[in-house]
Amino acid sequence: MNLHRRQILALPLLALARPAFAADRSDISRQVLLTWHKLVLELVRHTATYMPPVAARGFAYIGITAHEALASGNPALRSLAGQVTDLAPLPARPSGDYDEPCVLHAALQAVVAEMFGNTGPTGLRAMEAMGRQMGEVAGAGIDAAVMDRSIAHGKAIAEHILAWSREDGGAVVENMGFPMDYTPGTRPQDWVPTSLVRMQQAPLLPGWAQNRPFAMPSAKATDPGPHPDYSEDPASEFHAYAQEVYDTGRALTDEQKLIARFWSDDAMLTFTPAGHWISIVLQIAERGAMPTEVIAATLAKLGVAQADAFIACWDTKFRYNLLRPVTYIKRHIDKTWEPLLITPPFPEYTSGHSAQSGAASTVLTAIFGEDFAFDDDTHVAEGLPVRSFASFEAAAEEAAASRLYGGIHFRFGNEAGLKQGRAVGAYAAGLRTEA
Amino acid sequence: MMRASLIIALTAAPALAEPVIPSFTDETATAGFSTVYEGEWEYMVGGGVATFDCSGDGFPEVFLSGGASPSALYLNRSTQGGALSFEKTEALTMDAVLGAYPLDIDSDGIMDLVVLRLGENRVMRGLGDCAFEDASAAWGFDGGDAWSTAFAAIWEKGQTWPTLAVGNYVDRKEEAFPWGSCTDNWLHRPEGERFAPPLPLTPSYCALSMLFTDWNRSGQPSLRVSNDREYYKGGQEQMWHLDPGAAPRLFTEKDDGWKRLRIWGMGIASADITLDGYPDYYLTSMADNKFQILTAPESGKPVYADLAFKSGITAHRPYTGGDTRPSTAWHAQFADANNDGLLDLFVAKGNVAKMPDFAENDPNNLLLQQEDGTFVEAGDRAGVASMAISRGGQVVDLNLDGALDIVVVNRWTPAQVWRGNANATGGWVQVRLQQPGANRDAIGAVVEVRRGEFVERHEVTSGGGHVSGSVGWLHFGLGDAATAELRVIWPDGREGDWQTLGAGTFQILQPDQAAQAWQPG
Repeated sequence: MNLHRRQILALPLLALARPAFAADRSDISRQVLLTWHKLVLELVRHTATYMPPVAARGFAYIGITAHEALASGNPALRSLAGQVTDLAPLPARPSGDYDEPCVLHAALQAVVAEMFGNTGPTGLRAMEAMGRQMGEVAGAGIDAAVMDRSIAHGKAIAEHILAWSREDGGAVVENMGFPMDYTPGTRPQDWVPTSLVRMQQAPLLPGWAQNRPFAMPSAKATDPGPHPDYSEDPASEFHAYAQEVYDTGRALTDEQKLIARFWSDDAMLTFTPAGHWISIVLQIAERGAMPTEVIAATLAKLGVAQADAFIACWDTKFRYNLLRPVTYIKRHIDKTWEPLLITPPFPEYTSGHSAQSGAASTVLTAIFGEDFAFDDDTHVAEGLPVRSFASFEAAAEEAAASRLYGGIHFRFGNEAGLKQGRAVGAYAAGLRTEA
Repeated sequence: MMRASLIIALTAAPALAEPVIPSFTDETATAGFSTVYEGEWEYMVGGGVATFDCSGDGFPEVFLSGGASPSALYLNRSTQGGALSFEKTEALTMDAVLGAYPLDIDSDGIMDLVVLRLGENRVMRGLGDCAFEDASAAWGFDGGDAWSTAFAAIWEKGQTWPTLAVGNYVDRKEEAFPWGSCTDNWLHRPEGERFAPPLPLTPSYCALSMLFTDWNRSGQPSLRVSNDREYYKGGQEQMWHLDPGAAPRLFTEKDDGWKRLRIWGMGIASADITLDGYPDYYLTSMADNKFQILTAPESGKPVYADLAFKSGITAHRPYTGGDTRPSTAWHAQFADANNDGLLDLFVAKGNVAKMPDFAENDPNNLLLQQEDGTFVEAGDRAGVASMAISRGGQVVDLNLDGALDIVVVNRWTPAQVWRGNANATGGWVQVRLQQPGANRDAIGAVVEVRRGEFVERHEVTSGGGHVSGSVGWLHFGLGDAATAELRVIWPDGREGDWQTLGAGTFQILQPDQAAQAWQPG
């Protein structure tokens, strides 16, 4: 693993700042943090409302909870209160000794329980089992009074975050995110449903851009500008972009097909695009020697970046309401053409995958460095191979290109999405998690 | 050739006369059923019904699974056309039963029962007069120790005993990370007049329905498996080649053109709805359900188009009761509920447990087929729109009056039964296939029925639905026709003669023999 200089420097600083009692327990905290996040990835896949923007929001709140639980007992860490929108100062610790793994476990258990309270019976059973198992791990050998005090504080941190989350506009998702009624636009370039699924005859989460952003000033703060002028003229720039999708789709290499599927990250079948980047961080954390505090801060910033990226991207999508390549190509190039991937049920411009990947890579590059090489085994269990990347930026570029290979985005949608995401990510990267 | 009316319907929307709405009477309170499908997480799936005649009077008995409470066999005491009446017996009282399928395994003319359980599955040998014994050990049947949730059976070519496919679900011992822990499905092939050790059907992806079906009319059935995507990793819907004497072989995209589909697969219903001579498949799931039509039979590739939306049978959310959240569908079955000569679709619905993002008041569907091949919802008007948490079911003529009845197992509440009112429907004919020697009930045969200029092909199967199956009278609605013209293609490929059978009759069909009329009582 290539550890970036910044991280290497941070390790002894954090270790020095950590109280001796907590330092002895750091491995347990790390186990608690990573294990809960692995369960969260599964819950995202198996909870019906966790469409990609919803998942990104969830990761942000859970990551912030972990960071704040640790920051409340570590003077070397800085709270995000006052840095992210409307987050008031977190509850202070009443006097007495605390056990950091117990605080962290209690906070994560409480926040996950509410965020995934609507999951199925298997998810509920898994959460209960995880709570029991991690509680035993964290609480082994801990004085009962310390444990009780720590759990109470962890719960207080979680409740503070949850109360904040309930007011952001995204807490309630009905009908799996699809409006019950929808009136399509009347312009020739307007998005129209592309799916044979009855529920997807309306677009996903058309009001998501009204949600409260985390670190960026507003949903429109990173507007990438308009897409190329719509035209059905075969000599037009727009038509050329569509022709590129068509030609690319007809000549896909095996490698391009693999890339398309590797980054497809379909809702309810995978951890979603945001979860893919969370998975990358968890893998890096497990392979290396990242301290718990660094992992938590990374997850918090990554979650914020991706959540904001979806808010910004959804603002753009529903402002321009652009049709998907499959619609244009079937109307004007080849009515029999089918893309490699299933076209997502919402407008094209900008690409959500590209935006959130741009945001994620920006945050992770700021933390780990520009040339941080890593392997990604997120989809091994699904039968896809490990992919290796020279940098986060390279991974983001590939994620964006995958949407062209998949036949579901124009090149300009991917490029604008990356640009938009990088701008969003810069806000998240600017958050300070160290004192 | 797909019938022209359906093709037209999928490209236009002409006004149609609504089909006759059948009328059902809820006789749950008086029919004598008291079994409740109980249990918590381990019983969130399952809840099957088996119907078959074990008393020899022609009326189908009903076996109801009970989950964590005992299962029960109910003897049919109904009279022809009368109220439904059943007598509970202790003949098949077992615990941990998820579902069951009748099958005359040893071809002795007495129905046996394959019982799917949480734990060891069992094959129950029929002894006559609705008595049974556990023949698992005697027949070499390894019942395993899994969470068994799907079943299908076929007599492979040259075999005198059936091949049984058993679908298994999640590793129930996994708690915090159960996802990706689907256990192997098993294939129990015969070894003489007993079963060989089971073959694992690897990979397995948490099957909730299986069906042997001759999808391409090759004469060689394949095994379709509908899988629950909630629990698999890298999984999809599956189909297996099952060539005689060869190891099972999965259909793949590369070799066979099999297209990946990932749904919460819970039940398979099959029928020749499009009248193109090939089976169409309805796959139940959560929210939208799928209706698969073979796109290019001549290509030899199993490539299907999803016509659920265009046919009006997505059944993706409740149509009555005010709950607008997405539906959860389980047992599905094509049957002619109004005897108009067009197959209709019954779907049992119910929340997995109390999932807040899915409908709690989720009525069962009765989707009536119209002349153009599209369907219209009539569950509420027909009187079968139960809001109970339904699972398995059977649409079957319980009182032999020609009007189909419906029995449904519900989670946590008693099983329900509705009697179809015969005076509200058209004509019908019911046939029972019997052949000498092995496979007495002719599983794998095809009944062909003339429908105007088209021929409707009806595969005789054991499997599909949601852990629910039936062996007995095969029911065909006739509308106003005074007679039915049909023939049987027997499992060995012999083509029977076309026969003209009178409406309103029961007929026993045997190879190389004229139809033999039968009367209840």
